[in-house]
Amino acid sequence: MSELLQVNGLSVRFSGLTALDDVTFTLEEGAVRAVIGPNGAGKSTLFNAISGYVTPTSGTVHLKGQELTKLTPHEIAEQGVRRTFQNGGLFPALTVLENVLTGLHAQIEGSFLDILLGRSKALKSEAENIHRARELLKLMSMDHMADTRAGDLSGGQQRIVEIVRTVASDPPVLLLDEPAVGLSPVARAQMMEIIHRLAGEKGVGILLIEHAVELVMAAADRILVMAAGARIAEGTPDEIREDRAVLEAYLGHS
Amino acid sequence: MSTTMPTSRQRSLRTWAFWAVPVLLLLTPLATNAYTQFIVNGMLISILVTLGFTLVIGNLGQLAFANTAFFGIGAYASAILSAKLGLPWIMTIPLAGALGALGGFLASSAALRGIRSYYLAIITLAFGELMRWAYLHTKPLTGGTDGLPLPRETMFGISLSDDTLKFYIFLAVTAVLVKATLNLLRSRFGRAVMAVRENEVATASLAIPTARVILTTFIWSGFLVGCAGALFARHVGHVFPESFGMLHLIASFAMVLVGGLGSVLGAVLGAVVLTALPEYLRAFPGMEELFFGLIVAAVLVAMPMGLASLLRRLSPIFVERYYREES
Repeated sequence: MSELLQVNGLSVRFSGLTALDDVTFTLEEGAVRAVIGPNGAGKSTLFNAISGYVTPTSGTVHLKGQELTKLTPHEIAEQGVRRTFQNGGLFPALTVLENVLTGLHAQIEGSFLDILLGRSKALKSEAENIHRARELLKLMSMDHMADTRAGDLSGGQQRIVEIVRTVASDPPVLLLDEPAVGLSPVARAQMMEIIHRLAGEKGVGILLIEHAVELVMAAADRILVMAAGARIAEGTPDEIREDRAVLEAYLGHS
Repeated sequence: MSTTMPTSRQRSLRTWAFWAVPVLLLLTPLATNAYTQFIVNGMLISILVTLGFTLVIGNLGQLAFANTAFFGIGAYASAILSAKLGLPWIMTIPLAGALGALGGFLASSAALRGIRSYYLAIITLAFGELMRWAYLHTKPLTGGTDGLPLPRETMFGISLSDDTLKFYIFLAVTAVLVKATLNLLRSRFGRAVMAVRENEVATASLAIPTARVILTTFIWSGFLVGCAGALFARHVGHVFPESFGMLHLIASFAMVLVGGLGSVLGAVLGAVVLTALPEYLRAFPGMEELFFGLIVAAVLVAMPMGLASLLRRLSPIFVERYYREES
């Protein structure tokens, strides 16, 4: 498996507080790596630092050998590292189809002037991408909801549409921030299947923050355990289950 | 709130209806007297003013109140270019639009420096007042309190003080600019504008350059309203600083809200209704402002989403979408 994402010595310090402390790992094609740890462990800061929302104090992030560290969030997304948000990043007033189309923004051709004048170049690319968005929704059996306002969907449907939107442009790397939070057991199972399919069939490298232990154990190939901003353990789900440092981080010293 | 989508037949009906409206309007001069014609001309200007305003505060969701500043910039640009440089008025329209766009660029630079919500509101209000101060204190250029009259001019052998001729020019400019704005909104650009309003952080995660979206929206808004300013200069024939004060801003804001925030259809409806209303209320001298206020308040209480929401309930052809299936 080829390496997609390389995170090297990534640290984030906010005036004295170390939110992320020298984190190093790699993510391979088709791999699912979970990031777990108690609240305040630095999981979200890790995601924000990789996706450009927080500037790392030191360390680097590379995608297929190309440095992403100095880029802005939209440039990093354009390079192919895309993410979802813990509290949901859908646009409630837009329809499901329109939401998925925002994920294809950089794929749609035509300059501002082409769009303004309604030139066929822009219209053709728009039509092609609408077709593509509808196909993606069909894959998730969401095509009948295409014209529903995203804000009117159930929590589980919103999570799924957000993932469809995030992967619409076929990004090689996907960061999922608590995709199963607040989901029913049925929706959780569906989410797990989606994660498996993306990694297994499309070879997407997935980094996953999740608190639902059964989802983490079942979905992840490897688990990165964090506490107080630092990596405290790393390994397969079975190895992590046995790890003393992990037990201490969660349950305290015995 | 479930919405039904227009079928392809309804969509072609909508396209057809869009162009039918201005074509039918071509006949208005036959059916109206000079007074009504003047009012209708004013409506066409207000449509552009309201459209530019609703794009920024409705679609983009930025609390920027520099709209009247763009309007004044456009009107003075047109008057100065006509009166001082002797440019044919028709040529001053795109130039006024360009200067309005420059105003939009300036207003967006505040938003892009992270000045948002109430702070953006106050700084853009100050921009408007600063412009008014500038019109008053640059007498050689703007005529100060005396204002600046537009020179007499003819087009096609007809005087440009003729309201019927002005009507056809205003109608053409307004129809083309409304159509161009619809093209923008029903594209990746329009979706990006809405996305910034809904969740700016998530928008950037989709490879959408949010700063450029904000900048471009302000510039296009300034362009629309700047062009409207040029029409207004010829409409009244003489520009005065007091036309571009708080009163105009509040009236435009009312048009945006009565029509429906962030809706092109709403901008048109708000502008038409609130331009016509005061004319009908002239029958009640001394009470017109009171009635005007009451009617605006009643519409907003009954229909917080504006008059456009009423039409949307009547037929799906009025539902505004941010993509375009037909090519």
